[in-house]
Amino acid sequence: MNLYEHTIVVKQDTSTAQIKKLTEKYSKIVETNDGNIVQTENWGLLNLSYIIKKNKKANYIHFKIKGNGKIIKELEKNESIDQNLLRYMTVKVKKFDLETNYFSKKDEIEKKENNKN
Amino acid sequence: MIRRKNTKNKKKQSNFAKLSIFQNNKFKFKKSCPLSVKGAPIVDYKNIKLLKKYISENGKILPSRITNICQKKQRELSISIKRARNLALI
Repeated sequence: MNLYEHTIVVKQDTSTAQIKKLTEKYSKIVETNDGNIVQTENWGLLNLSYIIKKNKKANYIHFKIKGNGKIIKELEKNESIDQNLLRYMTVKVKKFDLETNYFSKKDEIEKKENNKN
Repeated sequence: MIRRKNTKNKKKQSNFAKLSIFQNNKFKFKKSCPLSVKGAPIVDYKNIKLLKKYISENGKILPSRITNICQKKQRELSISIKRARNLALI
């Protein structure tokens, strides 16, 4: 069993319901291949640093997957066809860092600042 | 206490004072790597705040001779910067 971090970049004009569907779709693929999803993170709408296929912003979804390499093969096979996605990336890691979430913190800080104002 | 502090300061100053162009490399004042100190942040492709410190304005990776990062951490940094670039985070 290996540990993988998997991120997908979804087009800017997909609705929240569609994003939910996508996450369910890919988590199902993982589960059917004897994998285990440890954590899913939704980083939300972020600014892209450069334009990809005429998109300036994109939604990011991050999975932490425990399982065999077969899962990744199956996932990437499905993702390369998917028209809602811009990019996908998998990284094999030795240890999961479940505590720090680099993207949710920003939102909290911004919210706090907004509340103060 | 005051005396002790004074002696420490003197040592540091003397180290700086020795620096000159005609000097051996041995005595050059060298900063330690900021990422291998205890309690340093983990290099990761998601940690954009950290990665942004080590790229130039044009998005190029800064050489380690400028940033004083050790070889091991520089390798990790360059890999994670390239990953972040691929996801359009940087």
